[in-house]
Amino acid sequence: MSDRSPIESATGPLAKLARPLTFVALVLLGISFVVPFVWQVLISLSDRSEVDRLTETGFPSRISLDAYVRVFDQVPFAKYFFNSFFVAGWVTLLQVITCSMAAYAFSRIQWPGRDKVFLLYLGTLMVPGVVLMVPNFVVILGLGMFDDYTGLIIPAAFSAYGTFLLRQFMLTIPSSLDEAAAIDGAGHWRIFTQVILPLARPGLIVLAIFAFLFNYNSFFWPLILTQSENLRVLPVGLLQFNTTYGSDVPAIMAAALMAMIPPIMLFLLLQKYLVKGIQLGAVKG
Amino acid sequence: MIGSGRKRLLIALAFLLPNLIGFLLFTAGPVVFSLYMSLTDWQLTKHNQYSTESVKFIGFENYARLLWGDESHLFWDYFYNTVFLMIAIPVSIAGSLLLAVWINSKATPQKPKSKMKWGMIGLACSVAACLGAWVLASPSAAQDVMSTRSGMTDLTEYQVQAMQRNGLVLFVGIVGAVITAGLFVGQMFFRAAFYLPTLLAGVAMFLLWKTLYRPRGGLINSVLDPILGGIERVVVNTPAVIWYGTGILLALATLAFIGRSMMAGLSRYKAKETGGFALFGRAFILATVGISALGMSLVLVQLPEKSLLPSGYESFDQATILAIGDELKGVEGVDAAEVDLIVNALGEGASRADTLSALLSDPVLAQNRASVLEAVDQRSERVRRGLTAGHETERGGLQPPDWLLSSRWAKPALVMMGIWLAIGGGNMLLYLAGLSNIPQSLYEAAAIDGATGWQRFINVTWPQLAPTTFFIVIMSTIGGLQGGFEQALVMTEGKADTIVLTYYLYNLAFTDDFQLGLASAVAWVMFAMIFAMTAFNFRFGSRLTNE
Repeated sequence: MSDRSPIESATGPLAKLARPLTFVALVLLGISFVVPFVWQVLISLSDRSEVDRLTETGFPSRISLDAYVRVFDQVPFAKYFFNSFFVAGWVTLLQVITCSMAAYAFSRIQWPGRDKVFLLYLGTLMVPGVVLMVPNFVVILGLGMFDDYTGLIIPAAFSAYGTFLLRQFMLTIPSSLDEAAAIDGAGHWRIFTQVILPLARPGLIVLAIFAFLFNYNSFFWPLILTQSENLRVLPVGLLQFNTTYGSDVPAIMAAALMAMIPPIMLFLLLQKYLVKGIQLGAVKG
Repeated sequence: MIGSGRKRLLIALAFLLPNLIGFLLFTAGPVVFSLYMSLTDWQLTKHNQYSTESVKFIGFENYARLLWGDESHLFWDYFYNTVFLMIAIPVSIAGSLLLAVWINSKATPQKPKSKMKWGMIGLACSVAACLGAWVLASPSAAQDVMSTRSGMTDLTEYQVQAMQRNGLVLFVGIVGAVITAGLFVGQMFFRAAFYLPTLLAGVAMFLLWKTLYRPRGGLINSVLDPILGGIERVVVNTPAVIWYGTGILLALATLAFIGRSMMAGLSRYKAKETGGFALFGRAFILATVGISALGMSLVLVQLPEKSLLPSGYESFDQATILAIGDELKGVEGVDAAEVDLIVNALGEGASRADTLSALLSDPVLAQNRASVLEAVDQRSERVRRGLTAGHETERGGLQPPDWLLSSRWAKPALVMMGIWLAIGGGNMLLYLAGLSNIPQSLYEAAAIDGATGWQRFINVTWPQLAPTTFFIVIMSTIGGLQGGFEQALVMTEGKADTIVLTYYLYNLAFTDDFQLGLASAVAWVMFAMIFAMTAFNFRFGSRLTNE
């Protein structure tokens, strides 16, 4: 009995068919999720003149990498890549540092007013992002960070959500460990760096993945905060490329495909942590 | 604990400070600041370092202007668009639940190793299928003539068939690979494949979908076209009475069933028995099906009229007629001047029938009837398929829509994409986690009671997942009301039918006039809406959760 699944009927003529039918449905859906990406690859390998008839032939007459070459010829695509990695990388590093320190203060030190401040952090999680768009623009303008790397990095380097996530994670680390370290004469900084951080590693990785993916895909802030060509990140660069060279469909698809590769790699390498992180953030929230 | 209270506070502050500064400067502070801004006439083009004009406090004027002033229709139009796009939310949540249940079912192998053998067999089968497709679809060199298909005149028929063969082999390969991965890796594979769209959601993904939605040469319409053509053929060959009859019968049967289930559900609900909810759900689903069936049959009966167009319906523009003439000049023995005369006499907008009869009036061309027919019909086909500019504005029969380019289909197109993007994302992962937390003993108890699969789902799975659903609904509505900005900017370039509230805010604040005050008011109205919806969800949802 125990290996019965919820979708299987206990009785009835459909009972025997449920499993294979479910599998067929999953396979069909799986195909519908894979085909668009394969189609994208095919277009990116086609000649410009062949795009319109690709639906009739299903395959380019000649495989060519010209579209990829055109992307790099027409726009500083490598620079976009660098900018995206540079900004997302710095944001990730800073977020992990600031959030883990704050989470330590919220989970490991007893201080007057702690719960009130934490409640304030939690409260801002409820504030929708749109409310912050206009005032943050003014703040960043006022700090002279408009059209500069700092404007893209510094405001994103602090995260109430990340603090919350890491605090939840650190609460699961038994306090006997740091109490033992304290008895051995370790100060807070040593407990933080040598006891808590190594144990919180899975949590840190989860936050790092989220921060990196989010900022790698980030579009709105780079769009309104930068003007110069050499500050353009991938999403903004892609939009610009599409506006200028929109009729060159293979090149657009090639550029989009290249931009998709880093998240895919990250996902394949760290899938376990990502799944855990999504569930941690929700179940504990 | 180390140190006294004061010392601990200092240490804690030292740890907290880097984060707290950013928090106050970029999150907590701006929230308060934003509320103030929404009450002013702050406009960056008026109030900057070059002007001496100061920002005026204008009370609730911005809100009045937005919600019931002269321009208020803008805000409400965009609000409507936003809500329309949110149709994707309930559909994708239901889809996520279904996918999670399917993935979690025993239909997929849970442990990779046990299916190693099947995986190998699957792999061998897909390789064999690819090879078979390669051999069967390989064109023979005897057919090596110039292709006469639309837009492929530079390729030989042999080349076209070779390309189609490659395409077929690729598709067979994909199907084989998915089946193999499904058998071999199971749960992990489907989870990863369904998560891909969410992982990649962003400008790059929207550009891909923009390409998929292209009216001509887009993947979606090229799949829809033959399907719609098939439906059309069936409809044309079936008398309209049958469609009406089927539609009415379906609707009546559905209504009767709805009535019955609702009565049954109501009496059970009154008797405080369980299962009433399930009956209501079934009635609702049936009602939707019945109404759609009726609607479909009403749409379908109009088809025969549209499809049975008189022959010679296609008409040609000047350039097409000239092209036909040029092609016929190549036929042996034809007098070029004579052809020019006929062609010029035809003029813009001549129908296919007129063109044919005019050309065939020439004795030499009449002898080469086959060439004339081919030259004309080839163009005619292209006009019908919309590959060449013809003159007709309305083509008969069922046609796939122009999606993003049309005002009627742009929003549904975005909704469909939204469902595809979200269905296998975070929500599905949350449901999977929720499913794995349901104690197996509950299912065993239900099985002993003789519950069917559907009953077990309604009485065990669904209530057990209620907290997860509750969380997902709240987060999705909050996200949905703020969403749609990137789609509107990337895919439809801000076409009016797809402008959402966030896009409106962006337009007000960061283009043209930089009306920061008014834009802040938009943000706060959205905040109020989100707050109201969340409060509603909490009231309504917690009751359902506790049931």
